[in-house]
Amino acid sequence: MHKKKQMAVKVCLIVVLTLMMAIPAMTADNVLMMATTTSTDNTGLLDDLAPHFTQATGVELKWTSVGTGKALKMGENCDVDVLLVHAPSAEKTYVEKGFGVNRREIMYNDFVIIGPESDPAGIKGKKVVDALDAVRAKGAVFVSRGDNSGTHKKELSLWKATGAAVPEKETWYVQTGQGMLASINIAAERNGYSMTDRGTYIKYADTMSGNPPLKVLVEQDNILLNQYSVLSINPERCTKAKFDLATTFSDWLAGTEAQGLIRDFKLLGKPLFVPNAIK
Amino acid sequence: MDFILAGFIEAIRLLFSGDDQTWSAVGATLKASSGSMAASLTIGVPLGFALGYFQFPAKRQLRLLVDTALALPTVFIGLVVYAFISNRGPLGEMGLLFTLTGIAIGQTILALPVVIALSATAVESMDRHLRALLISLGASRRQLLFSSLWEVRYGVLAAGLTAYGRVMTEVGISMMVGGNIKWHTRTITTAIALETGKGMFSTGIALGLVLIAIAFGVNVCLSFLRKK
Amino acid sequence: MTVSQPIYRIENLVHRYNSDPVLAVDRLDIEPASIMGLVGPNGSGKSTLLKLMAFIFRPTQGRILFDGKSALPFDSSVRFLVTLLTQDPYLMKRTVFKNIAYGLKVRGNRENWTRPVHDALAMVGLDPDIFAHRQWDQLSGGEAQRVALAARLVLKPRVLLLDEPTASVDAASSELIRAASLRARSEWGTTLVIASHDREWLYDVCDEVIHLFKGTPTGAGRSNMVFGPWVPEENGLYSKLIGDGIRFTVSAPPNADATAFIDPAVIRILNSGEASTAENITFVDGTVIRIASEKQSGNLFADVRAGSLTLVVRVDESHLAAMTLHRGWPVTLAYRPDSIRWL
Repeated sequence: MHKKKQMAVKVCLIVVLTLMMAIPAMTADNVLMMATTTSTDNTGLLDDLAPHFTQATGVELKWTSVGTGKALKMGENCDVDVLLVHAPSAEKTYVEKGFGVNRREIMYNDFVIIGPESDPAGIKGKKVVDALDAVRAKGAVFVSRGDNSGTHKKELSLWKATGAAVPEKETWYVQTGQGMLASINIAAERNGYSMTDRGTYIKYADTMSGNPPLKVLVEQDNILLNQYSVLSINPERCTKAKFDLATTFSDWLAGTEAQGLIRDFKLLGKPLFVPNAIK
Repeated sequence: MDFILAGFIEAIRLLFSGDDQTWSAVGATLKASSGSMAASLTIGVPLGFALGYFQFPAKRQLRLLVDTALALPTVFIGLVVYAFISNRGPLGEMGLLFTLTGIAIGQTILALPVVIALSATAVESMDRHLRALLISLGASRRQLLFSSLWEVRYGVLAAGLTAYGRVMTEVGISMMVGGNIKWHTRTITTAIALETGKGMFSTGIALGLVLIAIAFGVNVCLSFLRKK
Repeated sequence: MTVSQPIYRIENLVHRYNSDPVLAVDRLDIEPASIMGLVGPNGSGKSTLLKLMAFIFRPTQGRILFDGKSALPFDSSVRFLVTLLTQDPYLMKRTVFKNIAYGLKVRGNRENWTRPVHDALAMVGLDPDIFAHRQWDQLSGGEAQRVALAARLVLKPRVLLLDEPTASVDAASSELIRAASLRARSEWGTTLVIASHDREWLYDVCDEVIHLFKGTPTGAGRSNMVFGPWVPEENGLYSKLIGDGIRFTVSAPPNADATAFIDPAVIRILNSGEASTAENITFVDGTVIRIASEKQSGNLFADVRAGSLTLVVRVDESHLAAMTLHRGWPVTLAYRPDSIRWL
């Protein structure tokens, strides 16, 4: 009876220890720490690029994917070495304030406006500005992320482009404060419109077995382009930031190999990013 | 909702096919939670015992403070710990951000009030006859203390298990302090958050089941410490 | 020295809980190897007195001398010599064996405990082979209390304090507990102090019985205690209904809720045929439920049930032959209301 008990305790201990050993060993030197937005991580692009980068340069890339606002804040706090984000105007201010340096455009993807197939506001095929005016005029449900993310900022800029105020307090304007996918799902439940990056929409459509209740209604407008840039953290402010590794990463991303990888990257069989780095 | 069934199948596949990413997350979860549990039990049990056992001024106020701390939201703890260990923070020099140690520190703060409050409650609910019994059988002051602690061992075990449950399942601290870095600080819960964000609902459910499986394993192990 | 020193001497003892006095004992001596009984209603301070004598906590005032020396809780002079068994069976969350061996363990006794533990179990009528390895929660209430007693007996204590040891156990366990306690005295000369509601048992086995009332000893030996409230009668007397339509009549009490004491010696059992009316004498009808002789004095006493009261009455031995006193026999008691003492 006692022996059996002791055996059981031993077995449990061994299992726990084995599991703890199963973690891959950490390599501390030559590590580049990056903060990026959820969209790049969620599409799997970084998982695709990181091994190639390590192979080419011998530098390990670690990244944390957070909202754009938080990513910028982490850079400001010297917690990361490099940023890969998509909020051009915020980035420019960031560089002006001296937090980031060497902003370099790498690639873009695009946003789309989605809505129910019935399209109650009749926006299908319109230009963005006309489409949003129609939504506003109709008072149709429009779901916004409302989380100060890059995507949210983009959406706000579209509303501003209509020349009228953002419908912040309208009852038909639903701010979720959640991620893109959660917001799309809410839009579907409410039979409303939303603006999303194409990558998330492709994923969403895939989970709906190819027949999603929400369809792409507005696309291919220049205003919907979503520019991704890489920024190094200012080494004069953050002395511990690995500026040289950040530069290596930036150069590599703009190089032929990485630009080719970005072009060839497919999400569920569909291309997503267009490389546009200037060498 | 066929992704729930898909999640079940996926969970079995992840666990038995030796999926590297899953086992890395399992390892990170176990490492961080073991560290935080070791720390919170070492600090919390003596404090909880003292809080429940001794009479001293401001005891009630202290108790109130601990009970209130039970309601600390994990994202808030994550934010505060981040503020301290960020490179710009007072402890930035220690390089704890984006490490499992950092997560363990946050989780210790999360678990401590649970351990303290529940072991204090266990001690308070100790039978009032116990003291008389032990003294009457000839226990010295020291023996009285240790025998009393031994008598409440099941209560302390329950406190530990409750705290372990909170620590294993929290996502705010791991996300904020650990950064959900693949192969390093990606725990099961942050992986679930990520997979959900990616729309991979069935993988998210699978990981959730993996977490439950681990919790079950831990409880099975600890059930041997209980009577019978 | 021929005069033995008392094992306990209590001097000017006062104990308060939250400033409410619960116990005040001016002086009390207990002889070594004697058996002392404590009687008194609930809340009379019996448990407190026993806990103080067990040195579980300090008295608010006064001191307790043990073997002639003032002692306090945890003192090495008393720690291993005095032990207390409380009313509710309470065991540690361990096996029966470990519960009983605990006292040996804290005494730093490194010998094999099997023998003494098994002996102690046998002493309380529990088969060691069956019970030694049971868990604390695999026992009935009576078994648990017997294990608790065994945990005291294994220590061969100089003083064994028993606080209502049989109040919450079955009759068989009760009998075994009583027998084992008395054996401790006869085998090791253990001094016993027993608080119990069972007066008859105490009068049978004790060398002395102390009455505690509202925290103070009110005398030794047998006595009757009747609680208020009292209601006035026409003739300046007071009375209380004691059931079966019977009134218990007393002299004017100091207050309506005072407690009356009646010495068994002032109550008389009427001879059959004797008139039950007289000046200044009160008569009460009852039934004899028990006849017993007091251990020390050899005096005979009868317990008479009147309504819901049981009155102890001293029986004059010379009258015993003349009277037919049997269990269940109806009798009439006579006493003078003014012979009642008040508390």
